[in-house]
Formats: sequence, C-alpha cells, structure tokens
Amino acid sequence: MPQTTFDVFRYQPDTSDDAYRQTYELEHGEDLTLLDAILRLQNEQDGTLAVRYSCRSAICGSCTCRADGKTVLACMTQVEDLKDQNGGQPVRVDPIGNFKPIKDLVVDLEPFWSKFRSVKPYLIADDAPPERERIVSKEAMQKIYNESKCILCAACYSECNSLAADSEFVGPAAFAWGFRFAADERDTQRSQRAKLYSGEHGIWDCTRCMYCNERCPKGVDPRDAIEKLGGIAFQEGLGMKDAGARHAKAFLYSLRHGGKLNETLLVPLTQPLKAPFDLPFAVKMISKGKAPSPLPHKIRRLDEVKTIMKNVKETI
Amino acid sequence: MARKFAYYPGCVAEFSSKELNSTTKALAPLLDIDLQEMPAATCCGAGDVAEAKPNLYLTLNVRILSQAEEMGCDIMTICNVCTLNLRRANKLVREDPRLLEAVNEELVKAGARPYEGTREVTHLLWYIATEEGLSLLERQGPKGLSGLRVAPYYGCQLLRPSSVMGFEDPDQPQSLERLIVALGGEVADYEAKSKCCGFPILLARENTALKESHVALSQARDAGAECMVTPCPLCHLAMDAYQRKAEAVNGETYNMPVLHLPQLIGLALGLDNKIMDFKRHMVPVDQVLSVVGA
Repeated sequence: MPQTTFDVFRYQPDTSDDAYRQTYELEHGEDLTLLDAILRLQNEQDGTLAVRYSCRSAICGSCTCRADGKTVLACMTQVEDLKDQNGGQPVRVDPIGNFKPIKDLVVDLEPFWSKFRSVKPYLIADDAPPERERIVSKEAMQKIYNESKCILCAACYSECNSLAADSEFVGPAAFAWGFRFAADERDTQRSQRAKLYSGEHGIWDCTRCMYCNERCPKGVDPRDAIEKLGGIAFQEGLGMKDAGARHAKAFLYSLRHGGKLNETLLVPLTQPLKAPFDLPFAVKMISKGKAPSPLPHKIRRLDEVKTIMKNVKETI
Repeated sequence: MARKFAYYPGCVAEFSSKELNSTTKALAPLLDIDLQEMPAATCCGAGDVAEAKPNLYLTLNVRILSQAEEMGCDIMTICNVCTLNLRRANKLVREDPRLLEAVNEELVKAGARPYEGTREVTHLLWYIATEEGLSLLERQGPKGLSGLRVAPYYGCQLLRPSSVMGFEDPDQPQSLERLIVALGGEVADYEAKSKCCGFPILLARENTALKESHVALSQARDAGAECMVTPCPLCHLAMDAYQRKAEAVNGETYNMPVLHLPQLIGLALGLDNKIMDFKRHMVPVDQVLSVVGA
C-alpha cells in the first residue's frame, strides 16, 4: 500500500500571525486524489486543516491549490502522479498564489469575484425581445465554446505574472467571460464591452506569460480570449486609444511599409507623449546600436504582404 | 553533411540585437548546421498582430512556413516569441484542413505559394540541448566556461503553452541547465527562471513590466549567478537593456550581465569576441569574460 508524505502550508490566524509548514503521513490505495488525501488528513489526523471544496468532480472550481508549486484542482489530481513527477519526494501543498490566505489552503477570493463582476459577465440584449427564444447557430456558439467552459476556479490567476506585478490587473478568467459575452451574437454591448475592457489594468496589461493557458484545467485558454478581445477592440475602432493597442498598431504599420518590425518607430508610435521625455535612455540605446534605422526594413515580395493585408478579413 | 534549416532570426536579432545574429551565424558551421536565409519572410507579429488582427497573423505566419517548405527545410529560430507564433500557426492549420484551405486561398490571391503543412519549427536551444546536439559541442573540444556560475533564464514562450511548444516540461525545464553543465559552467538555480521578463508590455506598461523582470533578476543575483543566459532576444532586451531602469524602479542593484544563448556557447568554444560583440550590451560583461579567459 503506498505511503505518502504531505508537506502542507499552514496558516491559523486565530493562534499565530505566522504561517508554518506541517508534515503528515498517509497510507492509501493506488487511486487517491489530492483532495481526498487532504480530506482524509482532516478527518483522520487534524480537524483544524482548512480546505475549500464542494463537488469533488472538477466542476465547482473550489478546491484549487498548488501541488509541488503548480496550480491544480485538487480533486482532479492523483497523488501517485504527483509522486511520479517529483521523484517520490514529499508532496508540497500550498494555497493558490496571488491571493491572501485566510486559513491554511483557503484564500480570500473577493478580489477575484469583484474583477469577475466588473466585466459584466452576463448577456446584455437590450434590443426588442423576439417572439420566441433567441436561436444561436452551432457555428456562432462554436466561437465562444472554449470560454463557456470556464468554472471560475481561479487557477489562471494563481500564476498570472501580470497580476503578480499589478494587483489591479482584471485578469484571465474575467476576460474569458468578457469575451464569451462580447462575441455572443445575442449580446448588444460588443462595443461598450470593448471599451470597458481596454482601460488601465485591462486587456493591454496582459504580459503573455501563458501561465493561464497552461494551468487552466478546462482548456479555456484565457490568454487566447484576451487576444481575441484585442481583435474586437480593433474592430470597434479602439486601435489608437491605449498604448497597448498603439503598440500592436505599430506592428501593422511596420508590416505594411517594410515587412519587418521597425523597432525604433515602435517607441514613439506606442508612447507619443511620453517618448520625448525619455531622451537619456534613448541616447543610451542609440550609443549601443540598439536603435536601428527608422527607415522601413524592406523584405522581398512585399507586394504579397500588402495584398494579404488588404484582403484578409477578420472574423471574430 | 550539415543539416539545412530555413533560418528565421526574427526582427530583433536582425536589427537591435545584431550580436545575437552574428554569433548564431558564426556558430552554425561548428554546430553542423547550414542556415539558409529567408529574404521574403515578414515579422511573425510577436503576438501583437495576433492581438489586433488574428486572421492576418495566421496568414502571414503560414506564408513564412510555406517559404520554408519551398526551400525544403524546417525552420530554425533564435527567439522565443517567433518560435511560439510560427508553431502556433503551424498547429492551427495542420489540425484544421478547412482553415488551411482558407489561408491558402488568401496566399494564392496575393501571389504567394500555398502551404502543404509539412514543415517543423525548432529553436536553436532545442537543437543543441539534445544528446546529439551536446555531442556536437563535445566534438569541438570546448575550452569550457571555467566554472562560470550561470543563471538559466527561459522566459515564457519557449515553454508555454506546452500544447504548442512541447519540447520539455514547462515547470521543470532542464535544457539550459544541461547545456551549461556540458559547457563546463555551474548552474545558479532559482525559481523564477521561467517567469515573464515583462517585455511584451514594456513600452505600454513600463512599471508593471519592470516589476516582472525584477523577480528573475533579483533571484538570479541571490543565487550567486555571475551572469544570466537566455534563448530569447526580447527577454535579453528586458533583462539587459532595461536592467538599469528596473534597478531604479525597484530600488535594487542587480549588476547582472545577460548573455544570448549562442554567446554562452561561443564563449565555451572560443569564438572571437568581436563576432559576439559584447559592446552592444547595456550591462558590461567584462567580469564574465575574465572568468572564462576570453
């Protein structure tokens, strides 16, 4: 019968201000999820061990935690798999990152919920109601299928690098829901949503670390949703509004005029008002040869690129 | 016989970080690779074009893949971001024949060659950090790194999403470590080696980005690293060119020289310093050069 050592993060604010680690031993069968292991520890060894859970079936999104540093749904993770991956070491169990622990593995998710609410995560159809239900074609639903799978487990926030650097970043799951409604053909707020999501701490703050896509237990790919919201913002005429959008626009400019990125123009095109005040840094960059010619870097057969740019239609 | 690749250095290596391009080209014959230029290739869009115009991103990247197909080669990159963008486009059209057909229609309309879906995209690191790659280095009789303590810095997009990248475990990557050890260096290990450098938002959200680069720079410093090595020129810009700014914003001193991956290999193989052009770095690498006797 397998035996596993669990090295668990403990935080009991009623008795101490400091977090500490505690080791537990458990003998168990071959098939045991991490959540079942935690619940057995709670039931059999230590009733003070706190964990949030509900369905045990990877659908409620409550038991998200870190196993050996990696954010998982505890109910979806086999203890024996963790040991295979860590070479039989004790399994480290921690609360998810980027949130304040309340007690042991339970964190304060209020910032998550308030960000979720801020994207208006519900259908807004303020046109006249039809006589019967609003029918959506399979093709139209397919566009938002991935994002519809989100169970709000917050795994994508746990290792989000933008959130770690900026606690106000709205974040991956909220934007996945934002896209889910912005791209729903019944929703009438596409343009308003694009504006709402494009502000400071919004979609242009995503640093593309790809942790959200990597960690999502449901295959939502929140980063892809944020990217598609960028596309919607462009379609809605917001391509010059935010520095992030202007940065993307500068790439389109470079492509059209030469085919290769014009790095030197990227700075003033992204930050036209700020760039002139960063002169000392610009001088340093120039002195190191890091500011190449601002003339277009022309590739061969640029005409193909120009035709493609003229012809290709966006379909988000 | 040297293995041929369609060489896609990416825009940053061609322009602002030329030292990466020149070093890679000089290393190629030593690593038994023949890098063929792609004079009609565009920028991959760096995630920005995908964010503004996703269909355009896909079409332009498939156009690049098709050029490699015409050359009869797989693509070799030296940039995390280019690798992800090209691989992602490749995966999307290979898994969806109808999508490939639609993209090809646009390519043909523009007078470009349609893509048949036969090419692979690899990064120099993936080529060299295999048993075969390391034995190629061995054959060169490297003079080695003299125990230089190197912090491996992967960044994000060569590892994640693993469904697109897939070379190694994104949470426990080992390719840079294998290479450092094989070249006679010591690994300075630290947790943030696969965290983000902040580069994608460096111009639009400078403070947030500099707080991101701080995590890896400070941890590498605390791990006693004498330098950092990265397979990505964008990470290099964030870590090297913007390092003094990160110091100012975070109120810390890192003094961390940052090497491009081919420069680390070049140092161990005794490549000419002029080719590696360390003068173009913002943080001086003199100390590193004196440790390895270059």
